Amino acid sequence: MTATPRCAIVPPYLLVRLARLDDPRFAAAAEAARRSLLRDVPLRELRAAAHPPPRTFRAGTARERGRIDRAVWDATGLERLPGRLLARSEGWPATADPAVNEAYDGLGETHSLFWTRFRRDSIDDRGMPLEASVHYGRKYDNAFWDGERMVFGDGDGQVFNRFTRSLTVIGHELTHGVTQHTANLAYEGQSGAVNESLSDVFGSLVEQHAAGQGTAEASWLIGEGLFTDQVQGLALRSMRAPGTAYNDDVLGKDPQPDSMAGYIDTEDDNGGVHLNSGIPNRAFYLVAEALGGNAWEAPGQIWYDTLTGGNLRRGVDFAGFARATQAAAATRFGAESREHTAVASAWHEVGLGQSLVAGAAAE
Amino acid sequence: MKVSVSRSGGIAGIRVTWEVQVDEQPDARSWRELLDALPWDETEESAPEPDRYVYRIRCAPHEVVLPEPQVAGPWKDLVDRVRAVNEGR
Repeated sequence: MTATPRCAIVPPYLLVRLARLDDPRFAAAAEAARRSLLRDVPLRELRAAAHPPPRTFRAGTARERGRIDRAVWDATGLERLPGRLLARSEGWPATADPAVNEAYDGLGETHSLFWTRFRRDSIDDRGMPLEASVHYGRKYDNAFWDGERMVFGDGDGQVFNRFTRSLTVIGHELTHGVTQHTANLAYEGQSGAVNESLSDVFGSLVEQHAAGQGTAEASWLIGEGLFTDQVQGLALRSMRAPGTAYNDDVLGKDPQPDSMAGYIDTEDDNGGVHLNSGIPNRAFYLVAEALGGNAWEAPGQIWYDTLTGGNLRRGVDFAGFARATQAAAATRFGAESREHTAVASAWHEVGLGQSLVAGAAAE
Repeated sequence: MKVSVSRSGGIAGIRVTWEVQVDEQPDARSWRELLDALPWDETEESAPEPDRYVYRIRCAPHEVVLPEPQVAGPWKDLVDRVRAVNEGR
């Protein structure tokens, strides 16, 4: 028998209020409420309790744009979503669980990049609540976007640590949500690799923006710190030098190509979406390197305009995406501007060269 | 008779392959029963989901490619069993 009190009789809104108490005198009650939230309460009610309307909300008034609304769920080792426990909702104090806190903070940093730099109000630009589920599955070596939320495994402890450890991975998953709500690029072949690359680009920018790092200081690594000490490798991918992130006797060598000369034709991984993404990743890095300063400024703006501008076909290929970024650069900064030229040169260097493209892209 | 499971994709994009020589297993008969009962010809096309795994499962003359959400029931039993043999569990 367990000594944990069962609070099925307490309505969820009250549990949420209890769980939110930040007064040290009520710390035990708050913790107990947090733990019992969701044990016996129907999921629908708990979801509503996880995202209560703000106190100032009145029927008929517009919600305040840019207001963040997070919820982190604990899947408690099961493969059911969102999970059994509401571990932390907006405004709740930090918990004793680092995975919960990393997910919560990472949601905040990602929201901050998209809102403060690009005036995007959450994933759908309409204030969609940001959700994460942690402790998914047993020794689960992955993180993914399920169409509604980001989901994180704990890793097996031998090759992978928990997946919330890297802010780039959190930004990567949420960007899949942004892509889903904008260009909705098909997740296979070249459009899938562009989809992957956009997640790496904005995942990396979330980390750089949070750390205040310019292009020269940034690591340009995706998933730094995910590998355990037993693995010979720094990260999952390198945007600056694709193919160099790891070289391990068990995992093998990082297979990412850094230009079209190394393009990989494969049926695995939905047509190599995590492999060939190295090519557009490096193109973005080269734009940032050429322009210097902070990559979330001009380079990030050009890529954001491309993603959200409505000119990308769902099945766009690399060449079409390259043309679209050039058109976006010309539209925002002017034809033959420094930014426009940097974008054209970057694509040329990764083997997707063409004459300077200006105006609206055909893709 | 050999069964192989190759997992690709995931956010890491690292491919892992596990193989089992069925005839060398102490419980070869139960392996064969599991393999014979799998719905090899009943897999459905579905849209790929970001960062989920893709499984390619081979046992001549059969081969299927399954997205992670479809690896459930007997397919999950098979994958777990193949991994367990390879990981010495």
